[in-house]
Amino acid sequence: MATKIQIARPTKMELARLKKRHRLALRIQKIVKDRLSILVMEFIQTIKESARLRLRLYEEMAHAHTSFSLTAGYHGYEPLKKELLGAVSVLKIRAESRNVAGVRIPMFENAQEFSPHDEPRNPLDYSGHMEHTQTLAHSCLETLVELAELQKSLDLLGIEINKVKRINNALEYVVIPSLFLTIKYLNMKFEERDREEAARLKRVKLLIEQREAYAY
Amino acid sequence: MPIDQGKDAAIDGYLTNELKAVNAHLPRRRKTLAQLMNEEHPHVLLNDGTEHHFRKKELRRLAGMITEEEQSRLLLPMILEVQSEAGDIVVHTKEGIEAKVFSAIAGMPLVVRHDILRIFKAQVSTLRSELKTTTQYVFRP
Repeated sequence: MATKIQIARPTKMELARLKKRHRLALRIQKIVKDRLSILVMEFIQTIKESARLRLRLYEEMAHAHTSFSLTAGYHGYEPLKKELLGAVSVLKIRAESRNVAGVRIPMFENAQEFSPHDEPRNPLDYSGHMEHTQTLAHSCLETLVELAELQKSLDLLGIEINKVKRINNALEYVVIPSLFLTIKYLNMKFEERDREEAARLKRVKLLIEQREAYAY
Repeated sequence: MPIDQGKDAAIDGYLTNELKAVNAHLPRRRKTLAQLMNEEHPHVLLNDGTEHHFRKKELRRLAGMITEEEQSRLLLPMILEVQSEAGDIVVHTKEGIEAKVFSAIAGMPLVVRHDILRIFKAQVSTLRSELKTTTQYVFRP
């Protein structure tokens, strides 16, 4: 609940200072609201992308699993395991960061392009099936890395949205109303002082008139 | 090790009084697309002391949209100015390169008036989904 700010002395200077603070608070609230709307927009966009990527990952995993089963049937599990273990070590990710409206978000990028022909293979244990499985498995890993980036972005954006919301609420429901109440109180105080002054002047004038009347 | 790149005159206007805190994520100095394309880890140094990295895929995409001469004039990240009163996003584009890029991504011609390009918020989400690292928001009341 907004309450009047405690001020040491109700002076015109204090009133001017409070009015300045009130204008500044309104300006800041506008910026905070803009930032909040941008962050929410980014958050929704990230959610949509995350959902799309998740669907793609499920599809890719289903394809990889089918391909893996076919290859396992063709070569047997042992040679397949041996070959696929080599593929895992190929994935190199560069972790960097980007900034979205003041929020630092991690960014993962593939350091090198994957090619199943990069590593030496035993031609007896290797075939087109295996190459296809390897490519699909690698593609799954890449999508997983992308998804990890989006999930972390969602977390960080969510935390920032909460923070900005709290700032906005504090401004909207506490700071600005308190300043407004105090300004109103000071204005009323000054008006009252003016009225008192006017009444006093009237009284003094009346007394002087009465004194002058008695003197004659 | 980040290198201090000096100040950017276009950005200094956004860093006055209370805007200094909310726009601390702006780069100290922007780099051209051509410069960034030659870097191994393309990045700019921000006013808060952190780094903002660019995705190489995005840079390559941008390079494909404009000529080589324009690549050496396009400053990145492109600044999207959020204005409370107008309710939309403004991009200052003296050279018109930003307008060319945004038109290509939005898939429709965007009109530049007095070096200012206005984008509706609905279009911004499309732009941001395509140009995540090469655009940056700036707030102005």
